[in-house]
Amino acid sequence: MLSRLKFVPMRLLQAVPVAFGVTLVVFFMVHLIPGNPAESILGAQATPAKVAALTDQMGLNQPVVQQYWHFLSNLAHGNLGESYTYQVPVLTLVWQRAPVTLLLVAYSVVLMLIISIPLSMLAASRPGHVRDHAVRVIPLVGLGMPQFWVGVMLLLVFAVGTGWFPVGGYGDTMMDHLWYLFLPALTLAISISPVIIRSLRASMLNVLESDYVATARSKGAGGRSLFAGHVLRNAIIPAVSIVGVNLGYLVGGTLVIEKVFAIPGLGSMLIESIFARDFPSVQAVALFVAVFVVLVGVLTDVVYTLLDPRVDLTQRMNA
Amino acid sequence: MNRKLVSMVTVGALAVSGAALSGCASSSTKSGGASKSAGAPVHGGNLTIARAQDAKSMNNILTFDNSSIFIFEQIMEPLFTVTADGKATKPLLATGYKVSADKKTYTINLRKGVKFSTGKEMTSADVKFSIDQDTKHASTGWGFINSAIQQVQAAGKYTVVIKLKHAWAPLIADLALFSNAIVPNNYDGKTMAEFYQAPVGTGPFKWGQWKRGEYLKLVANTGYWQKGKPYLDSVTWNVVPDSNTRKLQVQGGQADIDEYPDWSTFKSLGTGSNVIAKTFPSTELDYLAFNEKKKPFQDVHVRRAISAMIDRSAINKAVLFGNGTPANSLLMPGVPFYQKSTPGIMKNDALAKKELAASSVPKGFSTTLLIPSGDASKLSTAQIIQNDLQQYNIKVTIKQLDPTANHNAQQNMQYDMGLSAWTMDIPDPDEWTSFAIDPDGGAKSAYTNYRSAEAIKLNRQAQQSVDHSTRAELYNQLQDVVAHDAPFAFLYYAPYAYGVSDKVQNFNVTPLGNYPLTDVWKSK
Amino acid sequence: MTTFSLTHRFRPSRREARPAARRLRPWYQNRSLVAGLVIVCIMVLLAVLAPVLAPYNPIKQNLNEALQGPSGAHWLGTDKLGRDVLSRLLYGARVDLRIGFLAVIIPFVVGTILGAIAGYFGGWLDIIIMRIVDVFYAFPLFLLVIALVFVLGPGESSIYLAIALVSWVSYCKIVRGEVIVARQQEYVQAARLGGLNNARVLGRHIGPNVISQAITYAMSDIVMDIMVIVTLGYLGLGITPPTAEWGSMIADAQEFITTLWWMAVVPGVAVVITGLGLSLIGDGLTDLLSPERRK
Repeated sequence: MLSRLKFVPMRLLQAVPVAFGVTLVVFFMVHLIPGNPAESILGAQATPAKVAALTDQMGLNQPVVQQYWHFLSNLAHGNLGESYTYQVPVLTLVWQRAPVTLLLVAYSVVLMLIISIPLSMLAASRPGHVRDHAVRVIPLVGLGMPQFWVGVMLLLVFAVGTGWFPVGGYGDTMMDHLWYLFLPALTLAISISPVIIRSLRASMLNVLESDYVATARSKGAGGRSLFAGHVLRNAIIPAVSIVGVNLGYLVGGTLVIEKVFAIPGLGSMLIESIFARDFPSVQAVALFVAVFVVLVGVLTDVVYTLLDPRVDLTQRMNA
Repeated sequence: MNRKLVSMVTVGALAVSGAALSGCASSSTKSGGASKSAGAPVHGGNLTIARAQDAKSMNNILTFDNSSIFIFEQIMEPLFTVTADGKATKPLLATGYKVSADKKTYTINLRKGVKFSTGKEMTSADVKFSIDQDTKHASTGWGFINSAIQQVQAAGKYTVVIKLKHAWAPLIADLALFSNAIVPNNYDGKTMAEFYQAPVGTGPFKWGQWKRGEYLKLVANTGYWQKGKPYLDSVTWNVVPDSNTRKLQVQGGQADIDEYPDWSTFKSLGTGSNVIAKTFPSTELDYLAFNEKKKPFQDVHVRRAISAMIDRSAINKAVLFGNGTPANSLLMPGVPFYQKSTPGIMKNDALAKKELAASSVPKGFSTTLLIPSGDASKLSTAQIIQNDLQQYNIKVTIKQLDPTANHNAQQNMQYDMGLSAWTMDIPDPDEWTSFAIDPDGGAKSAYTNYRSAEAIKLNRQAQQSVDHSTRAELYNQLQDVVAHDAPFAFLYYAPYAYGVSDKVQNFNVTPLGNYPLTDVWKSK
Repeated sequence: MTTFSLTHRFRPSRREARPAARRLRPWYQNRSLVAGLVIVCIMVLLAVLAPVLAPYNPIKQNLNEALQGPSGAHWLGTDKLGRDVLSRLLYGARVDLRIGFLAVIIPFVVGTILGAIAGYFGGWLDIIIMRIVDVFYAFPLFLLVIALVFVLGPGESSIYLAIALVSWVSYCKIVRGEVIVARQQEYVQAARLGGLNNARVLGRHIGPNVISQAITYAMSDIVMDIMVIVTLGYLGLGITPPTAEWGSMIADAQEFITTLWWMAVVPGVAVVITGLGLSLIGDGLTDLLSPERRK
């Protein structure tokens, strides 16, 4: 069995081929687009001469392998090109917008846990009971409601109706941000809670059935103290993993949420860029998001492993 | 006139939405909230405008999209500007002009004591530089508009002489375009790119801050040459892509103006809140284009038949909720020389049947209708047209492409029928007529390949005649010819729609879509 | 061996039983499963019988009766173009259920097979498959699907292709995890030691036990696919009009959310009920196929 300390660099090493794969996907994203990308880029301004010049400039006449190599070497120099829309380096835009989205995602994870943990405990404490069914069924309503609809409804009630929250936007200070981002983070949390509640409930049931809970029971522990002491603590560990696994979903949710709530993050930048055919921006956002998800994946695995002594490292290695 | 690039205009010119009965004042629908009495203008305050899209660039000679234009117009001013009715020009940084007998030399007097926001006085050298820069960039920007200009001379400190290659009626209208706005000579020593990072002009507002994708803020130019103006301290354009959110922001007081409300909820904007749903006469024409390179649209009977099948009042009702007017002509009511009596084809069952029977496809046919994705109005319009044509056994498949691909497909003539719109940028019909009916202008007659020797001849004559009544006659004939040939099925004229807080006073939009904020103020 | 899977030393009798030999309650006594099946069957029935049940042609416009509230003539009112909402809802079920079910098949099969291979054999095969999974997993589903549909052009076939390319990954991950857990359980270990070949062990012993998780996930995946269609509709990349479809109905209603909010609720409720039915089936199947997960 591997030593725990050795696991961390190994897991990091494992992320390297994935990162390469990510660059391949990002690279080919643009090359899948039918027709000449140069023509799409120029759009309304396309004249044959300009298309030829841009084709040349983008190296589109070169073999694909060479183009990919060129893409990688530019990437290594931190050069992802200029936004066609704003004519500034895309990295500048990404750095400006990434913190917004990261804050939104982190915020929604917190809200999600606040919603999910008590509800899943409620369900797991009496499996098969009415409240178990209720907890599992009611959040499904959130799953079936489109995010943009939930978002606008929350705005109608809590922003326009009560005036507690602003109608979209981002604000200037950190306190502002937390105030402005509450409803969007809640929308995101609502949309993913059903999944999380189910996973958490299942893992709590697993813990309840496990040896040491049985041991604890046999020693006379029961009721609340058992739940709080053993089950919750041990269910939190898989929760970390579940959050890690669903991070991609959360980040994906920002695409729509940011549009609804007028949040200047990566999600709205991606949608704008896709529709404007601003390929360097699309590539930069996709790359950033993917690398972020990979890194958080590594991080949750490491945390998970270090937290839970029962995890078999050789298995986690390949997970 | 070189119209090679005019194609780009459509992208920029797809302004908000627009209808317009000639010269009528703005109408407003007010369903709730008491109108605060306007009273005397008050200084101070920030105006917040919620908009669908961010600006792209502040470069006034290379930028074609309205979301940018509306902003840099507040910073940089041209020599002339458009009158409130959008049909004529009036001096702004100029005080007047004289035309030589051969109509080829214009002598323009500049207003004295006008200062840039840097404090430097504006002189003829700045004017010459600005117009020359625009002309120089004809191949990539708006400079084509200056193609009749041979030379600009700085004749005296406050006198500019413009020599033309030939008589050119739209010159003053062209000078009123934002691309001919005045910037400091030689960009104050900066490069073009550097200068437009924080542009300088003589306008009521000067550069503030731009957080791309979030907001763009301008602040008052305290040394503005119109003493005591502007009233506002600053203006902020916030990017709010979702139309429901924009509406809620204006209703909740977080924004003062919704730049782009949906027609579907337009009337309800004012309900129970202090928001006024305002429409302004526009120069927007929405039309169905037929690609005459594709069968059977080269057949005039097919085009006329389809034009007669479309129920324009149904579209007006379902898409514009009655805010528009069915279109009868190539020109819009807000454009000079619009002819009210132009016999544009309207829904007419008998005519549709007659024309179809006389056509090459009397039994109907199958075709496609191209629209840009994500445009609810065009989607509804397309479905109504699909339904209308179905009744004459013409099967229409709606094809949605993203806006850029949609535009490319039109430019490359890879479509059968398509929905498009146009708004004017200058108060002269030539901008649009040359684009729409002159296939040698580079736009293949608004990408329809329509070619009528008669229409082309009328348009060229109108360009070069300076006499108003002669031009009027020529444009009347042109409108009749186009109405008969039906290269487009004219659908409707739509007004510009804005949701405006009742605290905002004097907010007006010209038929060309500009909204100067010089006189706007906010009541407390 | 200590693994995350939980061996039940205190209840050996249950663990020793092979899954196939477990004494089970008959399926019809499983309340979740029955409720789910009833809901989904009703939905499917409504979809199949739409031409009979629908009071109007779903694409027939009647602009004079646009945007009406519920009435005797139109039980659920009419939309912007005066089309009957009830009829569109019924016909929409055909499109959405079809896309939902069909779009799940390929990812389910491909993901399950690859996941089983990776989990069972481990080693290089596992490493290679899981690295590919990681690459796809790194991109949010919506990001890739939106980008792909954008590239391929809007339409049903693009949606199938984009979903197939993207969502097999989840099945692969789930099945692999389950296989690893199952592989280490006594009855499988015993079967392997007893000389059964890999295919038999995978197919007979591990398969039925782990597939339930994939099926459970498939149920929520169908809901997810419907949400993808809805979101694509919101962004203007959805099903070609005038086809009646829940996603485009919600997208069409989006303009009216602040005024006629119920217009978006009606198709939304259809999505929710379908999702509920499918999730209940998923739960019931978990009960039926791997009862040790439940009380």
